[in-house]
Amino acid sequence: MSKKVLVVDDDPDVRLFSVTVLEENGYTPLEAEDGESGLKMIKEEKPDLVILDVLMPRQSGVRLYRELKTAKALKDVKVIILSGIAKKTFLRSQKALTEFGGAEIPEPEIYLEKPVEPDELAEVIKSVLG
Amino acid sequence: MEIKKLLFVTKFEELGFDALRSLLNLRKSALEHVVFVNVIERDRVAMRRGKGYQKDEEIRLREAANIRFIDWAENLFEQGMEVGCYIVVGGLVPEVIKATQKEDADLIVIGRSHKGVLEHLYSGSDVTELLHRAWTPVLVYKHLSETAISVKEPFVRPLVAIDWSPGSLRAVEYIKALKNVVQEVSLVHVAIEKDLKETSSAMSIQKIRKQARNKLEEICDRFEAAGIKARAHVYIGDAKEEIEKAAKDFEATLIVLGSSSKTSWVERWLGSTPRKIAEESIYPTLIVPPAKSEE
Repeated sequence: MSKKVLVVDDDPDVRLFSVTVLEENGYTPLEAEDGESGLKMIKEEKPDLVILDVLMPRQSGVRLYRELKTAKALKDVKVIILSGIAKKTFLRSQKALTEFGGAEIPEPEIYLEKPVEPDELAEVIKSVLG
Repeated sequence: MEIKKLLFVTKFEELGFDALRSLLNLRKSALEHVVFVNVIERDRVAMRRGKGYQKDEEIRLREAANIRFIDWAENLFEQGMEVGCYIVVGGLVPEVIKATQKEDADLIVIGRSHKGVLEHLYSGSDVTELLHRAWTPVLVYKHLSETAISVKEPFVRPLVAIDWSPGSLRAVEYIKALKNVVQEVSLVHVAIEKDLKETSSAMSIQKIRKQARNKLEEICDRFEAAGIKARAHVYIGDAKEEIEKAAKDFEATLIVLGSSSKTSWVERWLGSTPRKIAEESIYPTLIVPPAKSEE
């Protein structure tokens, strides 16, 4: 059975891009358009990998990532961040949330800054999922 | 009635990041989430003879907004805040209302009207339309306007205009929840001349003033109990003019008013005091609608 990969991004063009790359490489793509529905889908579908945007309506990737990594049942779900937000900012934001009393959480497996080439994305997915 | 999440509606020319930064002291109260909204109005990308739908222009406008929002969002994320964004093509007011509902926002921040003089004449301003349709408080911020006062932190010294309407009483609760942000509140009631004409003697005018003052003092006590300094003032005359005068007298940083009925067409087209102040005053203006159940 092919591995399930959830794409969480509010931009339909980016979702289409990622979904196409996933299909072409034999994965089963799932889609969510914001952090809130993304989290719901992660709980329901238990994907093998999440490709996550950061700046989104309703719940950002910063908070979704934090929720994932602090939930016992979900913390092993692998995450690739694919965003226009710089990696440094993402890490600083996590640090700020930890300083405000949150738990310390690990860095994401891979952090890609948009835009990426299809080959680059495919290769990174392959390296994370093995 | 805390402000946890605010919707920052901008076309960039009227509200920039400095305007948003001036609102960040709301974090001392409860603010933790900012949602950016940029609406690309349909006219800008609509079909043109010989050109069709201007998809390239839409992409250009979207990306320009996206790049700006990413920059702003990075600043806020690094402070540990939660940030979201909407860049949509459509009508300004319907899209803002939609985003407000989706996000369950506590405050909408918008610049002064976006429409031209002719459009104003025919369909009213965006601000008027938004005030008419929104059930969420709206801050009309005149940050970069040349005809507005310069305010560093608008919520520090608000003037709350009280007419005892459900909206104005809700405004009291809204400001009272901003304990760590508000330093001093001026509570102002304007007794309008029309009401005073029915009374002829100085004594009866003084009686009206005293009654209003006593009621305002009760509200002052509620503010003081919440740890906010509050003073009561009664003015007589035209509501809009007197509220502006009072704002100047007490160096207010913000005028707060309750909005009136959403169902009145007369109000919608002729304009009520809150709408006139929101559109014309030099002060940032916060309009608080009544709760849905009070309408």
